[in-house]
Amino acid sequence: MQTKIKTILAIFILFVSATSCDNYLDLKPQDGIVREEFWKTKEDIQAAVVGIYSSLLNSPPGVAGDLPMSEYLFIYGELRGDMIAPGANVTEDERDMMNSNIIPANDLTSWSPFYRTINYCNTVIDLAPTVKDHDPTLSQDQLNHYLSEALAIRAYLYFTLARTFKDVPLKLTATLTDVDNFQLAATPQKDIFAQVIKDLKQAEAYSVQSYGDQASDKGRITLYAIEAMLTDVYLWTDNYQEAVTAADKVINSNKFKLIQTGSSTWFNTVYAKGNSEESIFEFQYTTSNLGPFYNIFSLRPEFLASANALEDVFGIDFTNPNNKDIRGEYASIVPGSNQIYKFIGLDNNTRKELQTADTHWFVYRYADVLLMKAEALAELNQGTEALKIIEDIRLKRKAIDMTAQVADPGNKYDVINYLMDERAREFAFEGKRWFDILRNARRNNYARMDILIDAAITNAPADQQQTIKAKLKDPNSHYLPINTYELYTNRALVQNPFYK
Amino acid sequence: MKRILRLPRLLRLTLLFFIVLAFQNCTEQKIKEGTDQTVNITDYLRQNEQYSMFLEILDLTNYASFMNTYGTYTLFLPTNEAVKAYLKDVGASSLKEVPIEDLKNIAKLHILDQKVNTTDFTDGKIATPSMYGQYLITGASNINGISSITVNKISSIVASNIEVGNGVIHVIDKVMRVADKTLAKTIEDNPSLSLFTETLKATGWYDKLNVPINKDDKEKNYLSVLAQTNDVFKAAGFNSLADLKKRYSHLNDPMNPKDSLNLFVSYRILPRLMYLADLAITPALETMAPLEVISAKLDKETILLNEEVFNGVLEKGSSVNRDLSDITASNGALHLVDANFAIKKRLPAPVYFDFCDQPEFRKLTSIFRTAIGGRQSLAKSQFSDVTWDGTDVITYYKDPANGGTVGFGWHGDCLEINRLRDGNVQNIAFKTPVIIKGKYKVWISYRAQTTKVGLVKVFFDGKELPRQINMLEFVNTSSIPERVLESQGYKRHVSPTSSKMNCRLVGTIDVTTTARHTLTLQSQSAFSAQAWFDVAEFRPVDMDQLYPKFQAGGDGFAPMP
Repeated sequence: MQTKIKTILAIFILFVSATSCDNYLDLKPQDGIVREEFWKTKEDIQAAVVGIYSSLLNSPPGVAGDLPMSEYLFIYGELRGDMIAPGANVTEDERDMMNSNIIPANDLTSWSPFYRTINYCNTVIDLAPTVKDHDPTLSQDQLNHYLSEALAIRAYLYFTLARTFKDVPLKLTATLTDVDNFQLAATPQKDIFAQVIKDLKQAEAYSVQSYGDQASDKGRITLYAIEAMLTDVYLWTDNYQEAVTAADKVINSNKFKLIQTGSSTWFNTVYAKGNSEESIFEFQYTTSNLGPFYNIFSLRPEFLASANALEDVFGIDFTNPNNKDIRGEYASIVPGSNQIYKFIGLDNNTRKELQTADTHWFVYRYADVLLMKAEALAELNQGTEALKIIEDIRLKRKAIDMTAQVADPGNKYDVINYLMDERAREFAFEGKRWFDILRNARRNNYARMDILIDAAITNAPADQQQTIKAKLKDPNSHYLPINTYELYTNRALVQNPFYK
Repeated sequence: MKRILRLPRLLRLTLLFFIVLAFQNCTEQKIKEGTDQTVNITDYLRQNEQYSMFLEILDLTNYASFMNTYGTYTLFLPTNEAVKAYLKDVGASSLKEVPIEDLKNIAKLHILDQKVNTTDFTDGKIATPSMYGQYLITGASNINGISSITVNKISSIVASNIEVGNGVIHVIDKVMRVADKTLAKTIEDNPSLSLFTETLKATGWYDKLNVPINKDDKEKNYLSVLAQTNDVFKAAGFNSLADLKKRYSHLNDPMNPKDSLNLFVSYRILPRLMYLADLAITPALETMAPLEVISAKLDKETILLNEEVFNGVLEKGSSVNRDLSDITASNGALHLVDANFAIKKRLPAPVYFDFCDQPEFRKLTSIFRTAIGGRQSLAKSQFSDVTWDGTDVITYYKDPANGGTVGFGWHGDCLEINRLRDGNVQNIAFKTPVIIKGKYKVWISYRAQTTKVGLVKVFFDGKELPRQINMLEFVNTSSIPERVLESQGYKRHVSPTSSKMNCRLVGTIDVTTTARHTLTLQSQSAFSAQAWFDVAEFRPVDMDQLYPKFQAGGDGFAPMP
């Protein structure tokens, strides 16, 4: 009897322990997928690529504290320019950045969202090719398309980092385990630009011309988005002939045009709805995945247009209120209150509601390619052609005579000034202004430092203007400092010498 | 061993247990008892060898222990090279040879008893004076393409915002020196200011500028001087003191404060410590010349003095020389101007201040003074020249000429304030255009209502004016002659007259300085409807108070009858 009970007990214990063993010792996460199980089918690649785009819109789940990427692009591109003023809800860090009063402890200098998305891109670039071994239905073409998207986004992010921080660490392989080397020294800006061009060239070779529907063509990387990026990088690296060639690839495709309709419809089509014929690449916010703009421009305004932006940039015809630039009043700026309207308006008369404020972030528009080409032409001493492009845009945008300039086509100085002013009107608050200023100022060993200084003192507080001016004479001050936290975690980094 | 093995099982187990226990207890756990490991200023200096010489200064002056107490300090910390350069400058081989008083002053000059980060620096002085009493000025300079933040113009910051337990440290590359010369001596020592010095001496101001600041005084009487060089005098045609006397000294007694030459000098002395950054943000500078102000404005980067648009004519001002200014003296600051300037003699002239004429309203081009008009409200934060208590908005309101509600006013527009009362909009203050000093009668015109509004008090520069406006009172359209109405403090301010508008004389004011002043409206009851204001007229007392009249709904004046 005793033995029987003991045997039953023994069997029972064995049973219980044997079954539980499996789960008990399992170290795999229960709420995610591990790499060994992923990267098996082409759908996995697609999911990863979609993940890259989605990380551009808002921080991925589980990440707190970072602003959305589009807000960083706005901040880096506009705050140090001359068209922004602090709103009622501006933070101390934002105000300091507007006043060129930046210290490494400023939270806005954190680049972690950029490197997060870069790592997503690196992961796709490293691991997607292995899928071919598992999924025979994945064609080389399809794989290349995905790779071109990842390469182009990574290139764009490095391009933005190098324009913002100058020298940054360059990591081109995926960070997959904790044993990776995180102590990475910064790579010089020119090498980053070279890498960006190399990646974009590769992406160009793999690229897609159309995905078949408008939303994907404007929301995903196409050949034309890559060409637009290339034009931009070429302008930064002074390769003007290449810039013209890249821009022409977009222009000669005949897939884009400047829309000519009434002012309100134009605004509604290009900005409020987005994905228009003018658009090349946009961040696709939707009503279920809203952008940050309604909040920072309307609900709790952190940024306003500077007091004189409407008058100085777009011009006001005090004698005839109907004579106005369609890009000005109720397109970029709300007159009187100086709110930034571009991302919150539905048309010239109505605003969007909070729930429907899904205006996209415009990375490249057709007008950008045209004006970048004009800039390259101006630098190649083809002022006449450059002015033709500017005049064409002015005509279509109904720019008022007050903002017209008489530029001598042979005078590069004049043409560039006109071009800068036109870019200010065309891309107001689209995250371009500071980069336009910096790019043109730094050319030929800072031959046009005046552009930068003038822009800086336009809106500088009267009692800090001279300090700001003296600071900006140091080219190192045009780039942001490396955040204190990054210096602390990555000992191989060296702080920008200006931020002592 | 065998004996142990021979022990009963239970005992063996117990023994093992105790042995294990003994080993476990051997190490004592260390618990951090402090809450913060950050060192204070003096300890920070002790830990960093490169600052040993400033530490020696602190030790010699017995300030070392004091700088290690808790508090909020800012220390401008000179490196050892900086201190060595200072020693070489004063001709001492070691710090011990320097008089202890000097060391104390130096140490005190480098310490502020407030924590000030570099992000708070401006072009001017740091708001907190140093422990020595002298203000430090900040800025930035660019040497060979490398920019640095500077303190007192000469010391560059080489490491900034080092957080320590009791404040913040900025490391500087040169020891700052105490300004020991008074303004008078500073001016005298500059050979290019010799004529200015002579003038100072001739008018007795030299002695007043030579009085050092008494550190114990609560009210420190700092002065700022706007001096001009001999070249500037020459450009204006003055080669010697005699020339100046001939031109200005109308009483032939320059020592007399009423003499124009004396006023010429006192007009250049500001009774406050003003650096250029302060000038740039102060529209009207008080001077030592009684009731005379200098207007200052920033045009791009140039500070222009006395540049005004007056009666539609731009009067060119004189600019301040940035490079030669911001010189600190022991009792103030010295600046140099690029052109001769004098007190402007002006006769009182009428000022017609349309309440709607605000730059913010002017930008509303689709409605501002257009034929059709419209309304638009703006919040307080958007105005540069209007402020009020309460959080409600104020509205620009324009109707077609001689129609609608406010179309009968001048320009056919009125400023609409809905609920002029506590909590909504109250004590609304407008900055007027420049009014020349003199006596004026103030007329306020408005669009009346039959109910829900009431009395409004008017204040000029904070001083209440004798009459209130009754917003319920309409214009008198009877056949009473206008001169009779005028004597009772009423008039028909627009032509053709509208029964809807009214205009009230609120009082006579004595404007003592030529500058922009403040006009405040205060509601005396809880208005629950809109109050509409048209124009505030400041007419010199000896001018006709009725004519010219405004064109109703138009932009000009009505033809004289």
